[in-house]
Parts: sequence; structure tokens; C-alpha cells
Amino acid sequence: MGSERAKDLAELAVATARVAGAAYAEARVQSTWERMFVLKNGEPQPSFFGEGYGIGIRVVSKGALGFAATNSMARSSIRELARKAVKLADASSQYLERPVLLDDSKPVRRRWAPPETRKVEDADAEWLRGVLLEIEGRIADGRPGVKLPGRLLYLGAELEGRYYVNSDGARVEGRIPRVGFAGSLTAVEGGATAQRFIQQGETGGLEVVKRVKLVDRVEEEAKAMGRVLKTAEKPPRDEVDVVLSPELSGIAAHESVGHPQEADRVLGREGAQAGESYLKEDSLGRKIGSPEANVSDDPTLLHSNGFIPVDDEGVEAKKRFLIKEGVINEFLQNRTTAGAFGLRSNGAARSVSFDREPIIRMSNTFVEPGDYSTEEVFKEVRHGVFFKSFTEWNIDDKRLNQRYVALEAYLIEHGELRGLVKSPVLEITTPKLWGSVKARSKHMDFEAANCGKGDPMQSAPVWTGGPETLLSGIRLGSR
Amino acid sequence: MNTMDLDELNETAVSAAKRLGVDDAVALSARTADSMIRFANNSATVVNRVEEAELTVYLAKDRRKAIASTSNLEKAAVLKFVRDLFASMKGLPESEYAPLPERPTRFSPSRLGFDRKLEDADDQLPGLAKTAIDSASSAGGKRSAGVISAGSGTIAILTSAGTRGTDSRTAITLNIRSFAENEGSGHGLSCSPCLSDFDPEEAGRRAGEGARSMREASEPEAGKYEVLLSPTVASNLVETVAGAASAFSVDAGTSYLAEKVGKEVAAKSFSLTDHGVTGGGLGGRVFDDEGVKTRSNKIIESGVLLGYLHNLTTAKKWKVKSTGSAGFVSPHPWNLEVGAGDASYEEMVKGMKKGIILTSNWYTRFKNYRTGEFSTVPRDGAYLVEGGRVVKSLKGMRAGDDLQRLFSSVRLLSKKREWIQWWEVDTPTLCPWMLIEGVTITRAYG
Repeated sequence: MGSERAKDLAELAVATARVAGAAYAEARVQSTWERMFVLKNGEPQPSFFGEGYGIGIRVVSKGALGFAATNSMARSSIRELARKAVKLADASSQYLERPVLLDDSKPVRRRWAPPETRKVEDADAEWLRGVLLEIEGRIADGRPGVKLPGRLLYLGAELEGRYYVNSDGARVEGRIPRVGFAGSLTAVEGGATAQRFIQQGETGGLEVVKRVKLVDRVEEEAKAMGRVLKTAEKPPRDEVDVVLSPELSGIAAHESVGHPQEADRVLGREGAQAGESYLKEDSLGRKIGSPEANVSDDPTLLHSNGFIPVDDEGVEAKKRFLIKEGVINEFLQNRTTAGAFGLRSNGAARSVSFDREPIIRMSNTFVEPGDYSTEEVFKEVRHGVFFKSFTEWNIDDKRLNQRYVALEAYLIEHGELRGLVKSPVLEITTPKLWGSVKARSKHMDFEAANCGKGDPMQSAPVWTGGPETLLSGIRLGSR
Repeated sequence: MNTMDLDELNETAVSAAKRLGVDDAVALSARTADSMIRFANNSATVVNRVEEAELTVYLAKDRRKAIASTSNLEKAAVLKFVRDLFASMKGLPESEYAPLPERPTRFSPSRLGFDRKLEDADDQLPGLAKTAIDSASSAGGKRSAGVISAGSGTIAILTSAGTRGTDSRTAITLNIRSFAENEGSGHGLSCSPCLSDFDPEEAGRRAGEGARSMREASEPEAGKYEVLLSPTVASNLVETVAGAASAFSVDAGTSYLAEKVGKEVAAKSFSLTDHGVTGGGLGGRVFDDEGVKTRSNKIIESGVLLGYLHNLTTAKKWKVKSTGSAGFVSPHPWNLEVGAGDASYEEMVKGMKKGIILTSNWYTRFKNYRTGEFSTVPRDGAYLVEGGRVVKSLKGMRAGDDLQRLFSSVRLLSKKREWIQWWEVDTPTLCPWMLIEGVTITRAYG
């Protein structure tokens, strides 16, 4: 759909909703384009191509929030739907105990797009297949030193376009190209198996594959699986120090800092699904970790999987310092939660498609880098375990009780990495984890992930990452 | 857009594909209209209304296969969409291929799970939400959060061989959690294809009662326990068993059921069937994505794995017939049913020496799908049982096991079963309470 028509329809939706009585209205015309190729054990699966677009309309009327969406883009359909959104909001207003109050964020007028060297639209099946075959060539037939009888490889290119308008004056046009890989590898050795799920992705064009060194990374993961199966021994049961890799630092930051600091969870809005939070409205300023615990979320990182410089409420997105020197510093806010807190939104509202309301989402959540080299972090450890990659993980719905089961993990003795240890389990409370942070390296790395939240479910692309993070005085479990 | 429009859409796509010379073409067009109210802290937070239509097309030519979907349903756009998809196939390699059935099937329009009262239920949702919230409050919940969704959908199929049909369905679901002092919480749900079987009052009562009973919860000692799983928790794990029974998962190395057809994979008392359509089931339809008639497939009977779920491609590879479970790429279940036992809930509790009752869970994640090793996080009502009596409520724990051991250790199943579908259970599942021996319970360090 042409950009001028999208703008016209979005303006029509907002104007219609306002005439119908909405105190506030916004509309987002959003398009998606995607192409995916799959190899299962070297066998091509049907290639997939998808395209879609439609309009999502959100209103505040009589203090209640209403959202309506359609992909029927006739002007009459959009008028009718905008009126329906107002009518639904009005009908629910009799069951409101706390009317919606929007903050006074400055509306943004901007057109944005991250840099692309080679446009994602150039990703035809031949190119996608070519990349996957290169990976296949490195990991099939026992080449990584271990047999991988289960190899499921996905590579996709996608493009999201959006035009956003609201009755406060925001006008935002954005384009997000992304390239993403996911792979499930199953290795077998002497009757034992190991499994690894790998995900890599960034915003940008087809250059992403080389930028993230995709083929080398997957090959290295496959080799590590072989080493784990052949040599890993039981992990220590006594008290140890633990070094979390960037991958483990990232998942811990995402699960036990990012999620509980989403203001909608703090206010109870996700209570029936993803849950609430161990933090309350008055928890800002509460000490939760050591002075070395520093965790942030930054949607402005160039190339990142969660890049979004203006959010889906037309607010300038910015870096959020979630935990600063061990203290809860900031929640992720949208305009409605900020209104409830008496604050301003920090631009955390995102929607994954036209038919989903914008809700508070993480973007790129990470442990901040420290001032040690990676080697210096290990030198700090007399007796410990290095968690390099993980498989199983989960956390309770208040975000207090989490578990990470390592795949690739090493014993550390007197500052030196020794042999591999088998499936150590870090099952730990959030205050204990962040209270145990003793040091962080300067080295940073990120993993792509999809974060699930909301009802209907919205799976949002994010990055998780950080440096090598040293935790002192931990007891591990084992599988 | 009405059903006739869906048929026209399919005709347009399949005719265009045939003119291009494809070997096989399938058009699946769908129209849905869904309404939702969400609430938290006993107050409405948002109402949603989504009306959508989509066309999915599968093409095969010279063993090259492609699938595409579009929401741009104007005739000229659909014709271009099919042409572009066909053109894109020239760069594809040959792949595993099984032709569509040559003999066309004409499915009578199906409205087996359709309730006209749910076609436009927008106006009723706020009142139903209030019923659930009030019931939870009366039972002891201080504040409740939840969501009620109601909607209708029609899907139409046309294949290049002339197979055609339409299937219309409705559904209404409620998921409610109540919270009380000292972090107590309880969960309730109700789901049905028809409004008359929908029970927001009972779901609210369970959530409120659960919250009230959890006010003095403490953490259990880590160890092995006999665990009584509610239908909600059991369904979450049963769904992973059905996923492992997809022939695609077996091929991809992500199934603990690989190489186990004809072998014992569960206790003798455990049977699992997938139904294309069944009374009370919210999912499924009379035809699968390849136009094959869906049916009831026994996956596990008396503890023995009878077979996998197949589409045409996996069936050809495994030298069996399609089970009507397509997914163009991966076969999948439609509506699951676990066979009933003969125990009552009370008898099951009475028979527990030292065990734990779990009423809800979330975040089930696998260490290894090939071995079936997983853990899951209980939430809401959880209780310690000693000597056949509930002695206290529990919190802050995790349950871990592997699926083969877990389902082989089923000791009792309840007579009474419930349909479950909610945030943590996608595939509608008719499931009893399950008493399982030797489940590992752990708690966090710190």
C-alpha cells in the first residue's frame, strides 16, 4: 500500500474516533513482509513468503481504553471500526476503577530507518538457502567432531513498515528490516545426546549474516556440543564462584530485571498471563544488588534486534537505566503507566503487528560492561564454574526464582579454565543473584531472542547481552 | 466478507495457479472476528476487537514447494501474489514431496462447533467479566486479573484436484487469577465453543478460593514427591507429548518418542487421542491444510505409542497414510483427549502419603527435547498433603522430570475431566487430574 494512502487512512481513523467522542485516538498502519527458508537435516522444506498489512486504532473514551484492528482497508470499514473502538471503550467504562490517564509526552514527528547495505527485499530463496547450505557444510556428516542427526535450520528476512499518527500531534514513519537465524541442533555420542537452540539476528540488510559471523558461530556451537558429550564431568557441589558469559548475563538481565521492571506488570495489568512483579509501585530506590549490579535496556543501539528509536505511542525512545549500582532506578514505561506513576514515558511501547495493541516491551536488555578484562575476571576466581551457554531456563511469574541449566560450562581453578562440567544448574533468587555480582568485564556480546508477552500473545524481537559477570559464593545444582 | 467471498478468493488463487501449470495448489482462506476484554485489579484495562481475513496458498511444481500468506485480498493483488509466488519457486531446490489426493472430496459446510450467540458477543463481555470478578471476590480474592475472549471464524479450502469445504467455529474463553494478602494467588478458567457451557462464575470462584487458601504459603523441602496435577497443569505437559508425536519433530531430532512406536511410553492407565473435531473441543476442523479429512488418531493407548501424527509428506516418508494432521510443513494435533480414570479427586488426595497438589503452572522449558528432560514452574494454589490430608499451602518451587518417566509413573487418573485451553495450553485438551509418583521438586538458592 502506498505511503500516502496509509497516511490518509490513519488520519481518517483518528478523526472519526475523535468525532465519535474519543478524548484521545491513535492509528497505526503497519505492514509486514517476510521470506523464510528451512533446512531439516539438509532437506529443504517448503519456502515461506508472507505479506500483510492493516490498521490498528486505539482510543481513550470515558476514561477507558479501546483497541480495534482490521485488514479491510476500505474507508467505510475504517470509519466503522473507529466508531466501534469508541463504543467498546464506552461500554467498559462502567467497570473502571482507575480511569486511563495519559502522560504529557512530547509528540514526535519523524521518519526513521536503520542503515541497510543490502536491502532485505533481495533475500530470495536462493540466497537464504545458500547461507543455510554453507552452515550445513560445516556441521553435517560429523565434521564438527560429533554427529548431529538433528539439524533444523531457519533463516528469514523481514521488513516492518509503520505509519503512526495520534491526536496529540505525533506523526511517525518507520521502516525496520531484520535478518534472523534460528537453529536447533541435536548431537549424539555413545548413546548420550545434547541439544542446543541458537538464535542470531539484527536489524539491517543481508549484510547481517556476515556481521554476526553466523556460519562460524553455528560451527563453533556444534563443536562445543561434541566436547561436552565427550568430556564433561559432574559439577562441584560445594560453594563456588560463578562467571556468567555474555549469553548468561543477558538472559538473567532480561528475565529477572527487565520483566519485573515493566511498569504494567508492577501495576498488575499482566497478572493473569505473564504475571506481576516482586517490585511494587514504591520500589524505585530499593536496593536489590551489589554496587556492581548495573543493568540497562536500550532501544537505540544501532543494528540491535530490538532497535526502535520512536515507540508505538509516538514517544522518543531512550536508554533506560534499570538497576544502577544495585538500586532499582527506573521502570519501563508507556504513556498510560507513566500517567499512573505521575512520570513521563521512556518510550517502551511496542506492537508486533497492526492487530496488537502497543504494550510495554523490552528492547535490548543487558548487564552494563565493567572495567576488567575477561582474563582478569577469571583470575578473580579460586574455585568456580564458567557458564558459557544454556539450554533449559525458566522463572516464576513474580521474577524472584530463576533457573539456568548450562550446556557448555567449565570448571575454573585458580583463575584458569579447566575441563568441561556437565549440566550445572544455577537455581537462584533474584536478590541473591544480583547481590552476588562482584566484577564485570569490558567485553560485551549480544544474542537475539524473541520475548513473549501479552494476550493475544506478542513475540517481540530483542537482544539480550552483557559482559562476563562474576558472582561470588553460589551453590549449584546438577541435572 | 461472507463465506461466498472466501470461496471466490480460493477459486481466484487456485485457477491462477493452474493456469501457471502447477502440479498441486491449495488455497485456504480464513475470516475471523474476535472480541476481548482484559481486566486487572477488578477493573477493565482494555477492550479489543479484531476483524481479519487472510489467504494462504501452497504450490508445488516439479517437487519444488512454497507456501505464502497474504492479507491483501483484492482480486488483482491475489492474482499478482500467486504469480509472484510461482515465479519465486524457480530458484527453489527439489524437496521431499507427496502429491495431493487426486480424488476430490466435497466437505459439507461444517458448523459443528458453532454458536450463533458468540458471533457478535462484544456487548456481553463486560458483564461476564464482572460476574467472574464478583465471584472471585466472594470466594476470598482481593483483586482479580483476567481476560475473556469470544470470537468466530470460518475457513474455506479449495485444492487443484477440486477438494473443497468450509468450516465455521466459535469459542469463548476466560482466564482469571485472583490475588490475596501475603502474595496468595489462585487460578480459574473456562473455555467452550458455546456460550451456554461457559461458566465465569465457577472459574472466578476457583481463582478466589485459591488465593484465599494460599495466604500462609511456605516453601517445600526439595526432594521427590508424589504430585497431583490439576487438568490445567497436566494439559500443559500432555501438549508437549502430542508435539513430540508429530512426525516432523521425530525427523528433526526433537522428539523423545523417536523409535518408540509399539513400545511402552506411559503407564497402562494412560491413553491419548487427537480428534479433528469433537464435542466441546475448541480447535480443529473437518479437513486439514492439505484437504485430507481429519479423524480421531489414537497416539498412546494403554501406555503404548501407536504412531505419529502425519501430513502427506511425512506419511510418504514413513510409508503410512496421512493422519489428517497437516500443517503443510509440520503435522500437529487439533483437540487432545486423555482417557479418564476411575478415581474421584477426594480419593486421590486421600491416597497420598506425602505429596503435593499443583493447580497451575507456567514456563515449561526443555533441557533436551530428544530426552524429554524439562522443568516447569508451579504457580497459584499448591498444597502439601500428608497422610491423605492437605496440611499447608506451598510456594516458591519448581518441578522437573523427563516426559517418559513422568507419564510412566501415572498412578491414578480422575473420572472427571475438564476442557483446558489458556495462555499456557494452545491445543484444547480434555484432561483428568493425574497422580504421579516420584516427581523432583527443587527450590531456589538464596
